[in-house]
Amino acid sequence: MSYGVRERLFAPDNRTQVVGVSVAAVLLVVAPFVLGGFQTSLLAQTLIFAVFATAFNLLYGYTGLLSFGHAMFVAASGYTAAKVVQQLAPALGIADIFGGAELLVVWLLALVLGTVSAGVLAVFIGYLSVQLEEIYFAMITLSFSMAIFVIVNQDIIGSVLEAVGIGGGTFTNGSDGLTFRMGEVNLFGLDFRLVNIADPTAFYLLTLVVFGLAMYALYRIVNSPFGTTCQAIRENPERARALGIDTTYHSWMTFIISGAFSGMAGAMLVMLKTGILPADAFWTSSATPVVMTVIGGPYAFFGPLAGAFTYEYLRWFIRQFPLLEEFWEFSFGFLLLIVVLFFDNGVYGRVSRFRAWLGEAQSRYRDDGIAGVVALVQETIAGALRAAAEIVRGLAAALRARLGLA
Amino acid sequence: MSDEHKGHGVDSSGSASTPLDRRGFLAAASTGATAAVAGCSGIGGGGGDTIKIGGVYLLSGVAQALGTASANAAEVAVEQINEEGGIMGQDVEIEVRDHGDNPQAQVRSLAQEYGADVMIGITSSGVTLASAPTIESLGIPFTITDTGTPFITEPDTETYGNYYESDSGKAAFTSNMFRTNANTSHMTYGIAKFVQEEYGAMRVANLGPNYAYGQQCWDYFKAYSEGLGVDHEYVASEYPELEAGDMTPQINSVLDADPDLVFTSFWAGDATTFISQATEQGLFEQVEDVFDTIGADPTVYKALGDTTPEGIHMSGWYWPTAYDNEHNQAFLDAYREEYQDDDTTPNIPGFTGGSTWASIFMYKKAIEAAGSTNADDIISELEGITIDDDPRGPTTIQPDTHQANAPTVLGETSFDADVPYDGAGLVDTRTYTLTRSESKELLDGSGLGPGI
Repeated sequence: MSYGVRERLFAPDNRTQVVGVSVAAVLLVVAPFVLGGFQTSLLAQTLIFAVFATAFNLLYGYTGLLSFGHAMFVAASGYTAAKVVQQLAPALGIADIFGGAELLVVWLLALVLGTVSAGVLAVFIGYLSVQLEEIYFAMITLSFSMAIFVIVNQDIIGSVLEAVGIGGGTFTNGSDGLTFRMGEVNLFGLDFRLVNIADPTAFYLLTLVVFGLAMYALYRIVNSPFGTTCQAIRENPERARALGIDTTYHSWMTFIISGAFSGMAGAMLVMLKTGILPADAFWTSSATPVVMTVIGGPYAFFGPLAGAFTYEYLRWFIRQFPLLEEFWEFSFGFLLLIVVLFFDNGVYGRVSRFRAWLGEAQSRYRDDGIAGVVALVQETIAGALRAAAEIVRGLAAALRARLGLA
Repeated sequence: MSDEHKGHGVDSSGSASTPLDRRGFLAAASTGATAAVAGCSGIGGGGGDTIKIGGVYLLSGVAQALGTASANAAEVAVEQINEEGGIMGQDVEIEVRDHGDNPQAQVRSLAQEYGADVMIGITSSGVTLASAPTIESLGIPFTITDTGTPFITEPDTETYGNYYESDSGKAAFTSNMFRTNANTSHMTYGIAKFVQEEYGAMRVANLGPNYAYGQQCWDYFKAYSEGLGVDHEYVASEYPELEAGDMTPQINSVLDADPDLVFTSFWAGDATTFISQATEQGLFEQVEDVFDTIGADPTVYKALGDTTPEGIHMSGWYWPTAYDNEHNQAFLDAYREEYQDDDTTPNIPGFTGGSTWASIFMYKKAIEAAGSTNADDIISELEGITIDDDPRGPTTIQPDTHQANAPTVLGETSFDADVPYDGAGLVDTRTYTLTRSESKELLDGSGLGPGI
């Protein structure tokens, strides 16, 4: 143990955070044994998207660069992972070397190679993209991701390989994408299916490990001098440059890290879905982490995580009602509108302010007992009503002005 | 923030259909009390008093009319069965959902949350193939009623390659998936055979939607034509994008090649777009005949109104007037009764109607024969089952491929057809069926699997 771990852990500042993370960790570990099959895989998917959105937010919330093409990293990593499972692993003879643990090795190989391929893609595309800023950055990342969509959808790689005499013209298998099965693992006398929809516990636990490691790594990155530099670039690029920061280079590095972690999430997602389709590279897929981050709150580390949970579980909720499901984009858009209009820094901002409110309630309770809390509740409600009245009055005034009644 | 949602999953826990391993035991033990109270038996259990059918169809976008017609047929069949006393005295319940943005999640949700005992659906070949591992892992019987790809019912991985283990495999057979509609293999054979008999070797051009299905239809048509010994000259092949608003560049390019016959594989909204734009470009006057695989649907003809050209040949998996038997009449009567006051949908079934109606009656027979809703028992009953109530005449699910030996129907477009809407329909219909060995012989050397 390094010096002062105990002191740091139990310092008053960190105590709530440590307790919060510990409780969350225990809940997440226990979850698959309590939840049913469907909820466990939904939770696994949510955790994967949380990593994806947090990685995306490294560029957006921390560096101020809105990428509208992050699905390309999921695609690069996903196709690589699918290729590893379908072809590379059998070709390497992993089954003969590792026996019952074969699939775990395949899983690890797919995860590592998927992450690397997304990182490599980010090196090239990042270099070109970070030369631009603001809307131009969003447009160029969108263009690259749509180019990749076309490449996999038209199976251009397959055609090129065929032209040079390799294969029969299929590589990404066009619009059908690549689908695979992940079968049985036999480890220390335990038999289980790695990706089993009926009982996804095994894959969930692997997801949890990846989630934990990725989130910890990202947390360390944003809280390092590197992360602070990112925020300096977001706040004022000219000033950051004046301070001697090579903003282009720094943005490039951030882009690569963001891409690699997105790829890590992508490899997990594709193995959970046991397949990848060109649609996973389409721009609508790039919108998912954007929406999650905006809902959750881009200016807090756990914002995208809050957004991923809100997004996935709200989507699940909507699916329960055929009428809402039929117009799910509308239902979703309406929610997004509320968040953008009324929540400062998304759901996470709301949660933070609620925590602050609880702190206030606690101190009132100490001072005045239960009466103090009641008074605070009254004040809060009155404040909310005043704010709502303000909005309605504002709207009414605007409407009157528009109609020429004023 | 997830805590408040966690409680909802309880009723879908456990899995009665898979052997209980250590994990399963832990999961079951920790939810035991709640599960016992809820009387839940997980997958394959459903309730106790009702038999639940889950359906997943494309109910939005380009194929909305198509998926809706399938859902309608299934719902009418369920109603009919309930009127006649249900299955084993139990009421039948059906829930049909849209593919949405994640069809696999819908399939899982219906199996694990809704508690479906058996399932039907899927309006896309691509989604079918992508969902197969999910469906396999859920283990409950799933019958495809709307999908063309022959791969999903092709078990011969040695000859055609395993779809799940390579990028060029064509055998994707999945042990708990069945299909009641004729597939692309039947369809293209029917057209190739018709052309062989009526025209012989011609200059043929292709137009199809730009995705795997369009390419596949053209490949199979060429392979069957060659197998039938017809030496066509293939002069052009164009693929407008799926849901393309403008197909005129491709139509003109095909016209420039001066074909005698045009083979197309457009369906639903794309078939409507193609026919109206090809009419404007004068395609139907310049060529001798045009063929289409699964465009023959009341919603297409209704949308086209009086612009449908007469005398071209279109096919489908079902056409209401093509079969003369009491089961078809019962189907048509029940369908008309349900939808005659509904302005939004034609009151005759669409081209997936027959296969969807048949799938529900097939499940009824299998569940009654199995005497339970146990997934494995139903699956073994389904292998080789004959669907007596099939409106297309009795069909049998082939035990080794899980494909029904269903007929495909090809007819000539005409305004004299007996249809309850303003528009064209099919007359002079012919049906085609094909056995696996015949198909294998015809496709020999093409590398394409029969899938039947």
